[in-house]
Amino acid sequence: MPTGSSSITLTVHAESESIRLQVRAGESVRDVLDATEHRVRAACGGTGACGACVVRLLGGAVNPLTLAEYSKLPPEERAAGVRLACQLRLRGDAEIMLDHPAPPSCWMSIPAQDLAPAPAARPGLTRHIYGVAVDLGTTHIRVAFWDRKQGKRIATRRGPNPQASFGADVLNRLDAALNRAEHASELAMLARSAIVHAVRDILARDVGEVTPMLAEIGEVVVVGNTAMLALLAEHGGDALIDPANWQTPIDCAAPLHDAWHAQWFMPNARIVMPAPVAGFIGSDLLADIVATRLTEGPSGAMLIDVGTNTEIALWDGAQLQLTSAPGGPAFEGVGIRHGMVAETGAIFRVSALPLAESAALSFQFATIADEAARGFCGSGLTDAIAVLLRAGILKQSGRFAVTPGPEGYCLDPENPRTAITSSDVDAFQRAKASLAAAMATLLHRAGMTWADLTRLCICGAFGHQLDIENAQAVGFLPPIDPARIELFADASLAGCERALLDPEEAALFDQKRAQSRTLNLSLAEGYDDRYINYLRLRPLPTAL
Amino acid sequence: MIDKIIKAYNEAVFETDKEAAFAVVYAAMAEGLSAEDIVFKVVIPAIEEMMANITRDPDANLAQHFMTAQIAAEVTEKMLEKFQQPPEMIGRVVIGTAAGDLHSLGKRIVMGCLKALMVDVVDLGVNVPPERFVDEALAREAQIIAVSAMMVHTATGENGARRVRQILRERGLEDRFRLVVGGAPYRFDNELYQSVGADGWAADGLSAGKMIVDMIRGMKREAV
Repeated sequence: MPTGSSSITLTVHAESESIRLQVRAGESVRDVLDATEHRVRAACGGTGACGACVVRLLGGAVNPLTLAEYSKLPPEERAAGVRLACQLRLRGDAEIMLDHPAPPSCWMSIPAQDLAPAPAARPGLTRHIYGVAVDLGTTHIRVAFWDRKQGKRIATRRGPNPQASFGADVLNRLDAALNRAEHASELAMLARSAIVHAVRDILARDVGEVTPMLAEIGEVVVVGNTAMLALLAEHGGDALIDPANWQTPIDCAAPLHDAWHAQWFMPNARIVMPAPVAGFIGSDLLADIVATRLTEGPSGAMLIDVGTNTEIALWDGAQLQLTSAPGGPAFEGVGIRHGMVAETGAIFRVSALPLAESAALSFQFATIADEAARGFCGSGLTDAIAVLLRAGILKQSGRFAVTPGPEGYCLDPENPRTAITSSDVDAFQRAKASLAAAMATLLHRAGMTWADLTRLCICGAFGHQLDIENAQAVGFLPPIDPARIELFADASLAGCERALLDPEEAALFDQKRAQSRTLNLSLAEGYDDRYINYLRLRPLPTAL
Repeated sequence: MIDKIIKAYNEAVFETDKEAAFAVVYAAMAEGLSAEDIVFKVVIPAIEEMMANITRDPDANLAQHFMTAQIAAEVTEKMLEKFQQPPEMIGRVVIGTAAGDLHSLGKRIVMGCLKALMVDVVDLGVNVPPERFVDEALAREAQIIAVSAMMVHTATGENGARRVRQILRERGLEDRFRLVVGGAPYRFDNELYQSVGADGWAADGLSAGKMIVDMIRGMKREAV
């Protein structure tokens, strides 16, 4: 099975399963494991001070024992191959046993390659130097913990938004909050608890001290879509559900500092929630715009943040044209039989193997953590559709040339979780048509065409994994020079971090909001027509 | 000749290939077929065939419904321009989404079908206040008021179909108009349409076209 470009492989044996991970030179085994479901125990920031992160080396090319390991591990354990994961670095392929993993947690580190470089430091700070950046997504919450004084990111976490128990989509949650006051407070409490859990997990594992450190946090910045912010603050949700307000600014209110301080045990934190733009355009989009520096280059720069609620921005040289579109959830696995978010076991790449003579067509997959395929994430689904189309198994209409039956077409006949069903293709067609039509309509309204796009920044669900040519072949991304298309992972968090570390960048949010103009696609001329015309699985027309 | 054209047209529609469908139609006209024949002998039977197929295959692909309805509507619209005499329409429908609901695409399929079936459609757009449904139906002398709602709170709410029914009752207009509804919530609860005061519903956009045509024909028979 192929994987990423790195050539070093770490094989990890845990109680229930074995996984293979791609490791970059110089990365500690602890850092590698922290981004997976197999975390080691830890109580310091990976300095070797706590001695909790023991693993057993079964073989392979690694660095010699460090001083920290000599001081923390008794000789008989060292002789048996026991190492500290935070000290262990690979020089070639290696194999370890995880005898005492940390208890299961829903919080994982965000892989280093998905994070932006540190934007700034605030050396003038003297007290409460720590800060927290939060990207509050409908499906996932991302948190970064910073030493603001040194401009150093201490750790990050990504985990599920527990509000999902009230519904996967925004409207169901708003509905629940509006119908019963106790639901509203429960939804708010769920999100707030999740944020502080992530912070406590970081403090426990990466700093080694929890409550005293909470008091040292001087600022928390939260970005998110408008509905998430309204639910978090328990304010503005009623205005949100009325379509009359979808284009108007929504007051999600300043947080109730006292209550939040008490709940979070962060008595010194200034809690900042940059205001969203409108009912259906959140501050997460503003954070994307800041992170990608969308407005700093020539006009014709577009950004699409694909998520449960997909948001789109177009910089026309003078104004930011903003909109949001339905259609994102399919790329996060919603409504796809074997769909899933980009987690362990998700197929993120599919290619067809060259057809050997007389052999049947076969496919090659790349899965996250190289585990057995459990389903498709957005990029894997896009690849699968493109590959099936190219092989003639799928037709442009979205029909299979030969109906595969209710179980779908299995790309790997041995694994039913690699099946694509007719209704998956349908959901994919509607999702990609919706997003393509939204981009086209925004562009058209600005008097531009695809050819005028100087940049197209893809943020959100796909991370770095989307195959641009495949996305163009199925008519999701426009027919422009692929060199103009840039992939960003976790751009909202990066923009939020900028606001946390640089007071001027925080002011940028207000500036971007002032520069923006919103478009409600349901009322936009031409959106429906384009949507229907873009449903076919073929490249988008060059003319709008 | 006509059989060959019907077959080629149906194939193009099955493949949701609009360009191919138009190519078949224009080739047929070049061979001498009239616009009237194309609509009545090719396009309408193709839609009726499609509707019949849906009841046999309820899981049919929604993207394909959109595309086929669109092809039917566009071909019919082009052909109507070429009719010798203004065509006689079956009836008129005012359609829109319920107040508070911005989901416009469901009604697109219904509109496409109705147009292809020679029903005049007045599109009121999205987020339509209940009074406006009734006012427009009166002004445009429609037979049917069609309210689309994709969310539970707009399907069952006080400003949707329920209120339209109330207004019809208050103004003594219940004999003049039939009220029909469609959208996801009605699929989950097949009796919901009655509880919001509607006279009919359909599970999908293509079947809605047929239900409405049948309803208009029924009204005309009653009137005779």
